[in-house]
Amino acid sequence: MKTNKLLFALAGNANVGKSVLFNYLTGLHQHIGNWPGKTVERAEGTLHYKGCTIDIVDLPGIYSLSTYSLEELVSRKYIAVNRPDLVINVVDASVLERNLFFTLQLIELEIPMIVALNQMDIAKKKGIQIDVKKLEKLLGIPVMPTVAVKGVGIDRLLEKAIETVKKKPPRKYAHFRYGKEIEERINTLIEMVRNLPFVYPERYLAIKLLEGDEEIEREVRRRDPKIVSAVDRLVEEIRNIHEHTCSAAIVSERYEVAGCIARKAQKLVSPIKTPWAERLHNLTTHKITGYAVLAFLLLAVFYSIFTFGDYTSRLLSDSFRSLEQLLTDLLGTGIWGQLISGGLVQGIVAGVTIALPYILPFYLILYFLEDSGYLSRIAFLMDNAMHKIGLHGKAFIPIMLGFGCNVPACLGCRIMETKREKLIAAFVTTLVPCAATTVIILGLVGQFLGIQWALALYVVNVLIILALGRIAFRFVPGEPTALIMEMHDYRWPHIRTILKQTWFRLVEFIKIAFPLIIVGSLVLKLAEILGWLEPISSVLSPLTVMWLGLPATAGVALIFGVLRKELTLIMLGTLLGTTNFAQVLTPIQMIVFTLVAMFYIPCIATIAALIRELGWRKAIFIAAFEILFAITLGGIAFRLLTLTV
Amino acid sequence: MEKRKTAKIEVPLTALRAGETGTVTSTKVDNGRGRIFEKRLLDMGLTPGTRVTVVKSAPFHGPLEILVRGSRLALGRGMAKRILVETGNV
Repeated sequence: MKTNKLLFALAGNANVGKSVLFNYLTGLHQHIGNWPGKTVERAEGTLHYKGCTIDIVDLPGIYSLSTYSLEELVSRKYIAVNRPDLVINVVDASVLERNLFFTLQLIELEIPMIVALNQMDIAKKKGIQIDVKKLEKLLGIPVMPTVAVKGVGIDRLLEKAIETVKKKPPRKYAHFRYGKEIEERINTLIEMVRNLPFVYPERYLAIKLLEGDEEIEREVRRRDPKIVSAVDRLVEEIRNIHEHTCSAAIVSERYEVAGCIARKAQKLVSPIKTPWAERLHNLTTHKITGYAVLAFLLLAVFYSIFTFGDYTSRLLSDSFRSLEQLLTDLLGTGIWGQLISGGLVQGIVAGVTIALPYILPFYLILYFLEDSGYLSRIAFLMDNAMHKIGLHGKAFIPIMLGFGCNVPACLGCRIMETKREKLIAAFVTTLVPCAATTVIILGLVGQFLGIQWALALYVVNVLIILALGRIAFRFVPGEPTALIMEMHDYRWPHIRTILKQTWFRLVEFIKIAFPLIIVGSLVLKLAEILGWLEPISSVLSPLTVMWLGLPATAGVALIFGVLRKELTLIMLGTLLGTTNFAQVLTPIQMIVFTLVAMFYIPCIATIAALIRELGWRKAIFIAAFEILFAITLGGIAFRLLTLTV
Repeated sequence: MEKRKTAKIEVPLTALRAGETGTVTSTKVDNGRGRIFEKRLLDMGLTPGTRVTVVKSAPFHGPLEILVRGSRLALGRGMAKRILVETGNV
């Protein structure tokens, strides 16, 4: 039997059940990573079906194939360059018009494709009956009805997919037509771009040039600037005819076609009532009950993540401690023994006690909120408040979670749409005092100076977040974007998909974070064994002693804090020889030390999360900026406080 | 073709009360900036001629909840201000 290798791509809007379908098809054979050189998530998996090995790529959920977001650009390029054997366009049958708008753009890419008409059950409940045969005819491509959450129709979908691939692709792809004025100009442009070497089909190029697509315009300009000036002329002509911008005219007409097809293929009957979804929506977006529910849920989320996290974290540390003891007995206290038990095992402990107890429940809850539709309601309620720090409503969840642990909070910034928003949100998140920072604030300032000073530091922190957030908003390049998102009907999330999404993302995080944590831990241990701590202290003393007014050992304590922030306090105690800090530190020193510890650098696991979400360069930039910022701030605070006391 | 402009009032989307419907006429875009903004609105289906119903507005001058092309959208107030709609006797 010959083996067939095939490549399918799943494409569609957000929240249409695409990831449910992906998980259904690929089972446990999947891999989550980033697109090469990009921070957009890429999910791949393999499926064996009737002698075929099918690689499946789950493209990001998007509404269009323009260059609004990185996700859209990545998806479009992938389809055009990698030319998968088949694109399966997952369509939400209950919002047909909006989904077909995207389908029409895929059709313009001239690639073998079929439509998985998903969520047929929800459509039915909403009173939408769809004539599948008619839709097939109108679109000119196969359409298969599915209910992915129940596994309905997936076998037939696969059969049809393979049948479509085996058929020879048509020499000429069918396409829908725009109005006469636009169609004429598309044809003019097709003639001009015909001989340009491009991965995109010529008709697609022509349409996108008229739409003012920046990426394509740039590429065309590089090859033949004359075409671009011709485009400008044609665009102006269309603007004069339609009295709207050319891109508005084209998108309008495309939506017109989508709406027309939807109206022809669907029949609206009276809906079978789904009052709970509608009532829940009203309750959770209401000006009073909405916030009450939000506050209650947030508390519940915090409470559950941190009770679970605290408990498992302690359990894990305890069991590791006995392992450490065992290792010390086994390997002795020579340099290797110390390195392995103190460095390697410590590193693993640090990683495991963060990753499993906190990130696991966080991902589960995040996906649950996202899939059910609640995340978008939170964004709706909190949009206004988040504008104060230059972000919009969606950033609320990652930033709130930052108070618990910055690591999952940074990972959560992937829900932001543009690169710019992701960067600002992740940056602000790293400034939020996490549970470990709270240990320092309460354990040092709170305990020895009184709770009012600890609270004052929190206020300072919030003010700094507001200020830096706004500054980032002003200086990060790119256009600020406001909130615009679909609030799909509430539905019960597909638990198996959530579990799988959580698991594979956890694995992905461990792969990035563990090497970093372990290396960091080893380096610190080695420095300790080799007796470098003293010299490091004296090298840093101009900063720590002269500028910040701290004891020289504070420098080493802060370095260890990179591994885990609460280590700064533990190390400080060890190095100063006492945990009664009142004996060895002045009140000003305590405040300055805490202030620096709050901001000076994200811990190493957070840096790993930043790398995953933003890439190396931005992660290092944020870390470097925060070191400088914290030191500057600490020095100024030291001087101001000395003056006033 | 003569454009009939009689008895139609053009207002920003934010001027509609909860439950009211209007037809999108245009979006105000600053020079240079705002191209992404316009494109995004178009892609989400807020094209000229589209009927939009305002369901409600989030408290404290928050975003609007609107119905467009059979789906429910949340739209930031700053964006909504720049969408002009026609109401009245069409």
